[in-house]
Amino acid sequence: MGASFSTADTIVAVATPHGRGGLGVVRMSGPESAAIAQRLTSRELPFEPRHATLAVVRDIDQVVVTWFAAPHSYTGEDVVEISGHGSPWLLQSIVESACAAGARLAQPGEFTLRAYLHGRLDLIQAEAVADLIDAVTPLQARVAFDQLEGTLTSAVQRIDAQLFDLAAKLEASLDFPDEGFHFITRTNASADLAAVQTELERLITDGRRGRLIREGRLVVIAGRPNVGKSSLFNALIGTNRAIVTPLAGTTRDLLTEQVDVCGVPLTLVDTAGLRESADVIEEEGVRRAEQAREVAALTLLVLDGSQPLDGDDQRLLAETGGPRVVIANKADLPSVWSGSGIAVSAVTGRGLDELRAAIVGALSGESGDTAGTEDLRDVPRVSNQRHLLQLEGAVTAVTRSLEQLNQGATEELVLAELTDAREALEALTGKRTSDDLLRHIFSTFCVGK
Amino acid sequence: MAVPDFDVIVIGAGHAGVEAAWAAARMGRRVGICTLSAETVALMPCNPAIGGTAKGHLVREIDALGGLMGRAIDATGLQFKLLNRSRGPAVWSPRAQADKRHYGRWVREALTSAPNITWIFRRAGRVLVEAGHVSGLEFEDGGAVSCRALVVTTGTFLNGLVHIGDEQRPAGRAGEPPTHQLAESLRAFGFEMGRLKTGTPPRLDRKSIDFSRFKEDLGDDPPVPFSFSTDRIDRPQMACHIVHTTEAVHDLVRSHIDRSPLYNGQISGVGPRYCPSLEDKVMRFPEKERHQVFLEREGLDVDEIYVNGMSMSLPAAIQDAIVHAMPGLEDAVVMRHAYAVEYDFVQPTELSLSLEAKRVPGLFLAGQINGTSGYEEAAAQGLMAGINAAQRCVDATNVVLGRDQAYIGILIDDLVTRGCLEPYRMFTSRAEHRLVLRIDNADLRLTAIGRAVGMIDDARWARFETRAARLDRNRARAATTRVVVNGLTGTAAEALGRPLVSMDNVVSAGYAFETDGVREIDAATLEAECKYRGYLKRHDAQQARVESQHARRIPEEFDYEGVPGLTREVVERLSAIRPVTLGQAGRIPGVTPAALAIVASRVRKLGT
Ligand SMILES: Cc1cc2nc3c(=O)[nH]c(=O)nc-3n(C[C@H](O)[C@H](O)[C@H](O)COP(=O)(O)OP(=O)(O)OC[C@H]3O[C@@H](n4cnc5c(N)ncnc54)[C@H](O)[C@@H]3O)c2cc1C
Ligand SMILES: Nc1nc2c(ncn2[C@@H]2O[C@H](COP(=O)(O)OP(=O)(O)OP(=O)(O)O)[C@@H](O)[C@H]2O)c(=O)[nH]1
Ligand SMILES: [Mg+2]
Repeated sequence: MGASFSTADTIVAVATPHGRGGLGVVRMSGPESAAIAQRLTSRELPFEPRHATLAVVRDIDQVVVTWFAAPHSYTGEDVVEISGHGSPWLLQSIVESACAAGARLAQPGEFTLRAYLHGRLDLIQAEAVADLIDAVTPLQARVAFDQLEGTLTSAVQRIDAQLFDLAAKLEASLDFPDEGFHFITRTNASADLAAVQTELERLITDGRRGRLIREGRLVVIAGRPNVGKSSLFNALIGTNRAIVTPLAGTTRDLLTEQVDVCGVPLTLVDTAGLRESADVIEEEGVRRAEQAREVAALTLLVLDGSQPLDGDDQRLLAETGGPRVVIANKADLPSVWSGSGIAVSAVTGRGLDELRAAIVGALSGESGDTAGTEDLRDVPRVSNQRHLLQLEGAVTAVTRSLEQLNQGATEELVLAELTDAREALEALTGKRTSDDLLRHIFSTFCVGK
Repeated sequence: MAVPDFDVIVIGAGHAGVEAAWAAARMGRRVGICTLSAETVALMPCNPAIGGTAKGHLVREIDALGGLMGRAIDATGLQFKLLNRSRGPAVWSPRAQADKRHYGRWVREALTSAPNITWIFRRAGRVLVEAGHVSGLEFEDGGAVSCRALVVTTGTFLNGLVHIGDEQRPAGRAGEPPTHQLAESLRAFGFEMGRLKTGTPPRLDRKSIDFSRFKEDLGDDPPVPFSFSTDRIDRPQMACHIVHTTEAVHDLVRSHIDRSPLYNGQISGVGPRYCPSLEDKVMRFPEKERHQVFLEREGLDVDEIYVNGMSMSLPAAIQDAIVHAMPGLEDAVVMRHAYAVEYDFVQPTELSLSLEAKRVPGLFLAGQINGTSGYEEAAAQGLMAGINAAQRCVDATNVVLGRDQAYIGILIDDLVTRGCLEPYRMFTSRAEHRLVLRIDNADLRLTAIGRAVGMIDDARWARFETRAARLDRNRARAATTRVVVNGLTGTAAEALGRPLVSMDNVVSAGYAFETDGVREIDAATLEAECKYRGYLKRHDAQQARVESQHARRIPEEFDYEGVPGLTREVVERLSAIRPVTLGQAGRIPGVTPAALAIVASRVRKLGT
């Protein structure tokens, strides 16, 4: 069961991460929160809004209490934040005392749900809160923060306003035929629609890269033994996590590490060198490497540029289908073949930046567009699958209405498609939603938010 | 209890009242219709025309349900036009100029010759209530009659105040005294009431105009009738004349705009925004060099010429100057200046979807008293109020049309759900299902409903069944006949589905289209079904899910007070309107998706 839609009672939860910390915060929201805080701290006088006040929770801890009076708070209700020392036990005791004093434990996402119900956040912003909390790379945080600030909402609203304006003109032509003229010509309507289409497509392109940033991808390093896979793995993650030796068949098991490549959180996997082997351990390693390649979004196929390509290399070049980046490693040594691979040296670090760009390019291009050519430091405005789906719905409808218009269909049919486009945009910003959707969105939050 | 004098009493014989009386009588009730004068039955105080975009749809629906308006205008129209013919069938809309006097007479005759209608030419005063239910009507000058249900359709008369220039005079319409006592009687029930304003353009004297100077504007030949039961319009058709405004006219408007009550704030948002006044046209479309104005005759035996497209709220002297600045009207004599009337209306959120007052069982309200503007909007409500008042008398279930069924359904749902802040006029853009709600299929959508309650007689029903069967045959043939149109081979249905391909193209390519002579409408149905098929198929699938959620009923006794998380304001709105379904709740202004989600989850928990 997700969050409940009730806002009549006062909810409480630990707002800081589980575990020990220097400080921990217990948050309460609801009509009784100030009164409960007073009871907990045995204060006669009410707290002063927006002032940090030193107090003592009986038999538990010395704390700082801050009261945010409705509606000027995160949830739009009376909110009290109690900062105590960060022991899980202490914080839990404060929560329990609050419950004894009339509060109830918050469900996941319930604070943000209340903010949404009170109109403090729109749906996109509420979703951004969840992303912000989960962000592990700075770019992820940045994307979520921009959405929280409303950049996506206003981009969508701008598009919706353009569609609305166009629809109004087309409607006027239908409503006042006596006037004997079109309030907008076919050519102008067509140009307006094309502009909207472009803008939507830009958001979608953005969104494909945004999803990459938000969700990350699994990238597998493959190649025959000794070409320098583990060295490259270490170079990309920036530590000597994998063992490197001049011996072929050094790596047996899968090694996994998180790495931020141009803002995209990647799960990088180093694998055993691929070759026929009599060694059962190595054989199992090769099997695992092949499995990893199957689930990966991208394969980095490493070749040794200082050695002629052998049968295993050729086989791998033929076998690794799907998205891949071919790397000619050991570029610090004289190269004996030249091909299409990116020249990299895991030892000197040469070519690593190009490799990073190629990785992100290949990943954004997985849906066949050109996001990889954009400035990778741009903050994409869209990052969420749900948003992307609605944008795709909108652009499909806009494209259809443009086709209708260009084929000579009359206003009412063009308008029908426009209405569908606008509905998709309204669903995106939450102007139009179903309660199932709300429930789903808010149930993915952690408790305390 | 003694048998009451009447089953249904209708107050008012405007466009709403006459439909209400007609409907209840057709359904077998004994009807009394109380009105001020025999001379003003079904009067058109403004534009002498019926129909127009969306309004024409309403008339076709009224007709499909067995109402009067379509037949009345077919019998008395001076010029017929199918508007928006260059667009698709979904927005075709019939409009006709009426011979105003003949129209009123025709309607009066229709009611007089109906078996169970009694005229009561008196001034209604007070609604009588017994044991919480309407019991009768008391007249202003004493005396009373009893009834089971009462339909009030007094239009602009409740505390009416007419503005002519700076002059103000209490009146229901120019020259007719207003209604105070009835207004008080309604107010006493505690209804939320409001005040609205509407106006009409100047009339010119036909004898002072040399029509040979203007371009003639002819109607359609042959004219397309409104009613499904009219085969042909036989009356001679009249031309009207087109005049254009000039920069000089626009300058006059611009330089006096601060004296226009519409713009200087004297009339603030309570007048009809939609019927674009001259001021609106000049100010909102400054790039247009000229606007069309039609000179329309009000009837064969009437001298007044209605200046369609020149409604305005400027002072009389400026009106004269503007008229005289129009090329060709330099010497025109203004017989009647534009005037406006201000009146009380009852917030239609006081009504349920059957148009019965929630506070007073047995009392129905219809027409301009509910905040609407327009003859067709009034007639549509009158018809439904009449049908439901008749049903009430025998405790039969209400007839409520859905938003996906009829413009009438949209009209009433909008009124009772959203209320009126300005006069409500119908537009096709109000319809979510615009491509389905067409004039050609109004009968397919509604005639069976009319038949079920006794509005459709056997002859009409037989005619309908013939038409429906013919359509089925035409559909079947269109799906199987192969034709080549513009070089593309396919079935006739596929060819018709392409933009710019017309029935004529398909017929000349060899598709055998069967018709009874009134081809326009039969062809329209087929063409629409083919042209819109792609969209409708996609749309239906998409909507089905949403609709099923929206169709979920909210229990009648549902208590919004007990629902945590709703704001005070939302609780009050929902408690007052008492929406029947979640969909209706979502259409109430101020009910946000979040609030709706709260209600929905509660309704679901109750497991209804
Ligand atoms: C000046 C003016 C300008 C308008 N301009 C426009 C416009 O530009 N566009 C547009 O779409 N619509 C316009 N309308 C509105 C349109 O005319 C109305 O919406 C429509 O006619 C309303 O129909 P109804 O049946 O509700 O009421 P009405 O047609 O007003 O009928 C009211 C009836 O009630 C009767 N009545 C009133 N009081 C009593 C009583 N106490 N006892 C018995 N009978 C009573 C009257 O005799 C009359 O028969 C205008 C109306 C007016 C008056
Ligand atoms: N000169 C040079 N030597 C390299 C480079 N990369 C790796 N080597 C050397 O190549 C040898 C093999 O390196 P590894 O990284 O262990 O190779 P591997 O592909 O992981 O080998 P397996 O684990 O056995 O499959 C080591 O002696 C490395 O020092 C490079 O870029 N330049
Ligand atoms: Mg290795």
